[in-house]
Amino acid sequence: MSAAVATPVDGPVANDEPVLAATDVTVRFGGLTALDRVSIEVPPGTIVGLVGPNGAGKTTLFGVLSGLVRPDTGEVLLGGQRVTRATPAARARLGLARTFQQLELFLGLTVRQHVVLGVRVRTERRRLWSDLLTAGALHPESEAERSRVDHLLDLLGLTDVAHAPAATLPLGTARRVEVARALATSPRVVLLDEPSSGLDAGETARISDAFRTVVDEEGVSLLLVEHDVAMVLGLSSRVSVLDFGVRIAEGTPDEIRTDPAVRAAYLGDDGDTPGALQ
Amino acid sequence: MVQYIVVGLVFGSIYALAASGLVVTYVSTGVLNFAFGAMAFFIARTYYALHTEHHWGIVPAAVVCLLVLAPALGLALYLTIFRYLRLASQLIKVVVTVGLSVVIPTVATMIYGNTQLFVIPGLAPVPVDTFDVFGVAVTLDQVIAYASVIVIVVAGALVLRFTEAGLSVRAMVDSEAMTSLSGSNPARIAAGVWIVSTMLAGLAGILAAPVIGLDAGKFTLLVAGAFAAVIAARLRNLTVAVVVALLLGVVGSLVQWALPPSSPVTANVIPAIPFVFVVVSLVVNILRSGRVDEEQGVGGALDRAITPNGGVRLAASTDVDTWFPRLDVGFPILVFAGIAVLPLVFSTYWQGILATGVALAIVFLSYTLVTGEGGMLWLCQITFAGVGALTTAQLATQHGWPVLAAVLVGGLVAAALGTLIGLLTIRLGNLYVALVTLTFGLLMERLVFALKPFAQSGAGLPVARPDFAVSDQAFVYLALGVFAILAVLMVNLRRSTTGLALDAVRWSETGARTMGISVVQMKLLVSGLAAFVAGVGGGLFALSHKQAVPVEYATLAGLVWLAILVTFGVRSNIAALLAGCVFALSPAFVQSTLKLNSTWAQVPVLLFGLGAIAVAKNPEGTVHQQARAFQRGLHHLLHRSGAPTGSGQ
Ligand SMILES: Nc1ncnc2c1ncn2[C@@H]1O[C@H](COP(=O)(O)OP(=O)(O)OP(=O)(O)O)[C@@H](O)[C@H]1O
Ligand SMILES: [Mg+2]
Repeated sequence: MSAAVATPVDGPVANDEPVLAATDVTVRFGGLTALDRVSIEVPPGTIVGLVGPNGAGKTTLFGVLSGLVRPDTGEVLLGGQRVTRATPAARARLGLARTFQQLELFLGLTVRQHVVLGVRVRTERRRLWSDLLTAGALHPESEAERSRVDHLLDLLGLTDVAHAPAATLPLGTARRVEVARALATSPRVVLLDEPSSGLDAGETARISDAFRTVVDEEGVSLLLVEHDVAMVLGLSSRVSVLDFGVRIAEGTPDEIRTDPAVRAAYLGDDGDTPGALQ
Repeated sequence: MVQYIVVGLVFGSIYALAASGLVVTYVSTGVLNFAFGAMAFFIARTYYALHTEHHWGIVPAAVVCLLVLAPALGLALYLTIFRYLRLASQLIKVVVTVGLSVVIPTVATMIYGNTQLFVIPGLAPVPVDTFDVFGVAVTLDQVIAYASVIVIVVAGALVLRFTEAGLSVRAMVDSEAMTSLSGSNPARIAAGVWIVSTMLAGLAGILAAPVIGLDAGKFTLLVAGAFAAVIAARLRNLTVAVVVALLLGVVGSLVQWALPPSSPVTANVIPAIPFVFVVVSLVVNILRSGRVDEEQGVGGALDRAITPNGGVRLAASTDVDTWFPRLDVGFPILVFAGIAVLPLVFSTYWQGILATGVALAIVFLSYTLVTGEGGMLWLCQITFAGVGALTTAQLATQHGWPVLAAVLVGGLVAAALGTLIGLLTIRLGNLYVALVTLTFGLLMERLVFALKPFAQSGAGLPVARPDFAVSDQAFVYLALGVFAILAVLMVNLRRSTTGLALDAVRWSETGARTMGISVVQMKLLVSGLAAFVAGVGGGLFALSHKQAVPVEYATLAGLVWLAILVTFGVRSNIAALLAGCVFALSPAFVQSTLKLNSTWAQVPVLLFGLGAIAVAKNPEGTVHQQARAFQRGLHHLLHRSGAPTGSGQ
C-alpha cells in the first residue's frame, strides 16, 4: 500500500495524542445507568481491547463514540477535535468507522457494492449528487478504486462472494462484510463490536490477521469489543474492562490477566483462575 | 351553542368508536387499518339494504349486521389477509389495507348498486323520538350514539383489565414473545381482535350513516379524521384516543357555530379540522421526544433476544426489497415500443384515453421513486400532481406562459412542496409518514384546491396543448417522450453512486449514517425529485384532457393509483408505464368494447385493489412477477431452439 493510504486523513497523527478519546461518559436509560463516568483512549496505530460481561455497557459506549447514543455527561474527542454533539455522519467523515453486533448491512446490495460505496463516500463524495447530472451509471470504475476494493475483499476473504447479495450470506461472512465496509472508508479508527461472534476458529484466525495487517500497513487504530477474551488479550496493546457500566480496570494484557477486580467480575468472588484469563 | 355541542358529541362518539377500533388492532396486530372506513361503510350499507330495502325490523337487521356479518367479515379478512402481515414491513401493511379500502366499496357497489341515497335511518325507529334535556333537544339517534361509546369504553376497559383475553392483548402490546411464552395463542387473539374491531367498524358505520350519508368516500374521510385521535394517542393509548376523538367532534361543531353558516370558507374549514389536529399532535409529540416512530417502545428485550439475529427486523426489511429485482433491458424496451405503436393503430377515441394513460404513468413514476427507491410511503403524490396541473393551468391560461414552461414550473413548485414535506417528516417512522402525507393531501384538497382561482366552481381552468402536439396522437408521443426521458434519468439514478447510497439508506439508516452518508440529504433528494416528477406528470395529465380539474386530484383517488401501481410493481419504470395505460384503458374497454354495464366497469378497479392486497403474500407485485416468469420461459425457449443450430455447425 502506498503512503497516501497509510495516513488516510491529514492531521496530527504523528504525536501520541489519541485518535479517539472519551472522558467521563455517563449514559442513563430511565433508571438504569448503562455507563457511569467511563473514560477510554485509543492511541494511533494500536489495537485497544474492551471487554466485560453481558450488559456491561460496551455496545452503549460504542453508540456514544459513534454518535448514535447521546451521553448525559462526558465528552468525545476524535483526532483532538470535540465531536460530542456531531452527527454519526460527521464523525464518519472525520475518520471514524464501526461495525455492529446486530448487523446493519444493506441487505439488497452485493458484498462488493458495500465496499465500493464505502470507498466512494470517502474519496469521491461529490458523486453522491453529481452522478445524477453526469450519467454516473456510465462512469467506468477508476483503477485506484478497483484495486482498493479488490484488496479489501481479498484481505477479508470475501473475493468469492463479491457478487452475492448481503441478504444471502451466513453470519460469519456477513460480519466480515461489515469489517470490509468499515475499512473501505479509510478510517483512522474503527470500532469493532464482537467481530468474531458467529465465526469459526479458522475465520477468527483470519480476521485477527486482517486486523494486524490494517494496523501495520495503514496505521489504523482499532477498538475491539470481544467476548473471546483470549483473542482480545492476544491482539491488544492495552485493554479496558467494563462491568455494570463502570470501568473496573485498564492496562496491558498482562496487568489485566492478574487484576483481582477483573477476576472477580468474571468469576463471582472466588479466587479461582478463569480459563479465559489464562 | 349547546345544541351544537350535542351534535358535536355525536361526531365525537363516532370518531371515538373508530379510533378505539384502530388503536386496538394497531396495538395487538401492528396494522393500522386504512380500510376501517370501507369496512364500516360495507356494514352500514348492508344494514340499509336489510332494514330499508328489505323492510327487516331494526333489531334483526342490526343483529345480523353487527353480530353475524361483522364478525364473519373480520374473521374472513384475518384468515385471508391479515395473518400474513404479522412480520411484514409497515410499508406493506399500509399498502395492503389501502388495497382493501379500494376493494370493499367496489364490492359494495357491485352488490348494492350505485344509487344515491338521501334519507338513511339509524338505529332509532323513524320518526325519531326527541327528548328534552334541560331545554336542549336530543334525538334518540344521538342518545344511542352516546350510549354506544359509553358501553364500549366501559366494557372494553373491563375486558382489558379483568379477563384473561384482555391480559393477553395487553401483554401483546408490550411483547409478542411474552404472550406466546405465557401460553396464549397470538393467532387466536389476533383473530379475536379483528372480529371485535370489525364490529366496532360496523357500529360506527351504522351510527354515522344518517349523519354523513352512505358514501364510501365520506366514510374513509371520517376515519382519516379519526386518525387524528389515533396519532394524538401515539397509536397506543386507548383513553387518550377516545378523549381526543370526543374533543374533535365538539371542536368541529363549535367552529361551525362560530363561523358564518353559508360562507364557502366554512364549508372548507370544517372538514379540515381533524387534519389540523393531526399536525398539532405531531408537533407536540416531536417537541416532547425529538422523534416519532411507531417502533418506539415496542417489543421488549425478550423479543429481541429470542428472534435470532433480529429476525423480525430482517424479515421486515427484506420484504421491501424482494419488491423488485429489476427486469432486464429487453423487456422494457419491448413494452415501450409496443405502446409507442398503439397511437398508429388506435382510433381518435382510444388515442385520447391512451394520452391520459401515459400522463398518468409519469405520475406513477413518482411513486416508483419515493416508495420504490426511497422506501418512503407517501400517500400524497396525487396532490403533487394536482399542484403541477393547477400551476400549469394558472401560468399558461391566466398568465399566457408557453405551456411546456408552465408544466416545468409546475413540477418545480411541486418539488419545493415535496422537499418541505420531506423535511417535516424526516424524523417520523414509516407509518406516521403515511398518515402525515395523507393528511397533507386532504388539507391541500380542502384549503387550496377548492379555492376559486383553481376550482372555478368545479370545472377548473382549461389548458391548451402546445401547438405541435394538439392532436391526441401527437400528444401521446409528447407524453411518451417525457416518460422516456424521466425513465432514463431514473435508470441512471439507480445505477449510480446516488442509487447505491439510496439503497443503503433504505436498508439500514444506521449503517448508512455511520459510514458518512447523510440520511437527511438522501431522503430530501428523493422527496424533491419524486414530487417534481409527480408535478410534471400532473401537468401533462391536465393537458391530456385539456382541463385542470381539482377534484381529479382527490387524495383518496391517489390511494387507488397507489394500489394499481403496486399491483404492477413499484420498483420498475416499465411497470409504471403499463399501470398507467391499463388503468386508463381498461374501464373504457369494459364499457365501450365489451358493452358491459357499469357494474362491470368496477371490475378493473376491483382487480387493482386485489393486486395491492396480494402484496401481502407476494411483495414483488403480481404483474411484475408474471412478467418475469414469462421472460424466463422465453429465455428457455430461445435457448432450446438456439442450441441445435449452434451444434449443427
Ligand atoms: N436503548 C436502550 N434502552 C434501555 N436500555 C438499554 C438500551 N440499550 C442498552 N440498554 C441496557 O444497557 C445495558 C448495557 O447494554 P449494552 O448493550 O451496552 O451491553 P454490552 O456490554 O454490549 O452487552 P453484550 O455483551 O450482551 O453485547 C444493558 O443492561 C442493556 O439492557
Ligand atoms: Mg454489546
